Amino acid sequence: MSSITETPAALPARPRAVGWSRLPLWFRRVILLAALVGLWQLYVSWSEFGGNPLLFAAPADTVQAFWDGWRDGSLARATWETMRLLLIGVGIGALIAALFTLFASLSQIGEDILLLLTAILNPLPGVAVLPLALLWFGLSSKAIIFAIANATIWPIAINLTTGFKTVNPTIVAAGRTIGLKGVRLVTDVLAPAALPSAISGLKTAWAFGWRTVVAAELVFGVVGGEGGLGTYINNAKLYLFTPQMFAALLTIAVLGVAFELVFGVLERRTIVRWGMQRS
Amino acid sequence: MSSITHTAVLRAEHVQLGYWAPEGFTLAVRDATFSVAPREKTIVIGPSGCGKSTLLKAVAGFIRPTAGRIQVAGREKLEPGPDRAVVFQEFDQLFPWRTVLDNVAYPLRINGWKRRDAVERAREFVELTSLGDAADRYPHQLSGGMKQRVAIARALALDPAMLLMDEPFGSLDMLTRARLQQELNGIIERTQTTLLLVTHSMDEALTVGDKVVVLAGSPSTVTEIVDVRDVGPPDSPRYAETRLHLRDLLAVTHEEGELDVVNH
Repeated sequence: MSSITETPAALPARPRAVGWSRLPLWFRRVILLAALVGLWQLYVSWSEFGGNPLLFAAPADTVQAFWDGWRDGSLARATWETMRLLLIGVGIGALIAALFTLFASLSQIGEDILLLLTAILNPLPGVAVLPLALLWFGLSSKAIIFAIANATIWPIAINLTTGFKTVNPTIVAAGRTIGLKGVRLVTDVLAPAALPSAISGLKTAWAFGWRTVVAAELVFGVVGGEGGLGTYINNAKLYLFTPQMFAALLTIAVLGVAFELVFGVLERRTIVRWGMQRS
Repeated sequence: MSSITHTAVLRAEHVQLGYWAPEGFTLAVRDATFSVAPREKTIVIGPSGCGKSTLLKAVAGFIRPTAGRIQVAGREKLEPGPDRAVVFQEFDQLFPWRTVLDNVAYPLRINGWKRRDAVERAREFVELTSLGDAADRYPHQLSGGMKQRVAIARALALDPAMLLMDEPFGSLDMLTRARLQQELNGIIERTQTTLLLVTHSMDEALTVGDKVVVLAGSPSTVTEIVDVRDVGPPDSPRYAETRLHLRDLLAVTHEEGELDVVNH
């Protein structure tokens, strides 16, 4: 066997990325984004449909509307309203999901009930229950919160339950051998061991919640006091303020990217750092 | 043959063990009687499937004997606990969300140690198991051998009445395994811990043990208890002789056809 400190006379070429993939990721993204905006501008400049400002907004007009909306507070208020409903809805959903998980972990019948309910209710699009919710809760934000909670309970509960069920038995045995039992075993060993599933459930729930809240606001217009982003888009359509519609969509896209980043940081600081999930 | 004395840390008397499988109740250990004296290093050896791990799990308190009794320091109703800390075979017995140092310190904290004292003692045992440089790493950044060292440090720091090891080096390569066996001897020498180790390797039994309990048959019984305290190094005649004797014990009792003597 040869030692690794020994250097061969001729080193083979180090494998090297070529062309496009050699560029840094952020640079590749910026270029693609610029190309996308360029195509958008081209469409506006060259097409009859795209050139009609009542039907289609140019990149510059969109940015202008985005800027104005955030400066005069109308977009900020709409965003906050949507976020508020989303946070309350996902919060309630997560709480109920945790209770379901507890119930399902403690008894076979609990697990059977959870699996059955998930099978029935999880495939329902979040907004599908909205008419019923309006019937029960009236034209208030409660109806939207109900729809969001319903859309988030099932993905969280099913992920958490699977997470707890698939915890590696050796680590539980290790927990017991160092003297852990009962609640302490759950909080200190089972819960962190199930964290990858919990995060993945929360991510799915968040995405479901987003779709539900915006769609619900769109469908029913002003609900409760302030209107959210869906309402904002709907109002802009009524007055044919096309750039404002584009600006609201841009806001939703930016928030989506922002939450991806937040979840990314959360994962890197926990499960990726601990080797429980690849980055 | 060593006899049961009343100073024994562990006493197993006519222990019978089994488990429920889909086909029905399977008896793994028919009758096991042996004892472990304070600071004695006892090895339970037997072919795969002889129920030796089941026996260790019963001592650890994870399962109860269907007959007979197991006493540790005079107590019988055994629950898993830090007085019989276990080192498992699997590498993933460490808490992946805790650093090496914290994997050793945390069990101390839940057993009533103050944070500072726990960290100090943990550092001591991390040094003892030659993991000083890796103290701040997470388990997934360690090799298999290092992970097993952490598990040993974690268990020993708890100052258990006896340390239980379930084929702790079974998943390691031969060289690492041999090195860790030597290291374990040195560490046990210093901590004066009573050891019960389960293995199917005769060399591990002879290198580490004072006494070897041979478990064979299916369901198994203790066929002999061999004193291996003075067998000397692997190249000595006494070692070779004892090894041959163990080999015969393990092979002979395997009546049902294949002679799978485990040679490691």
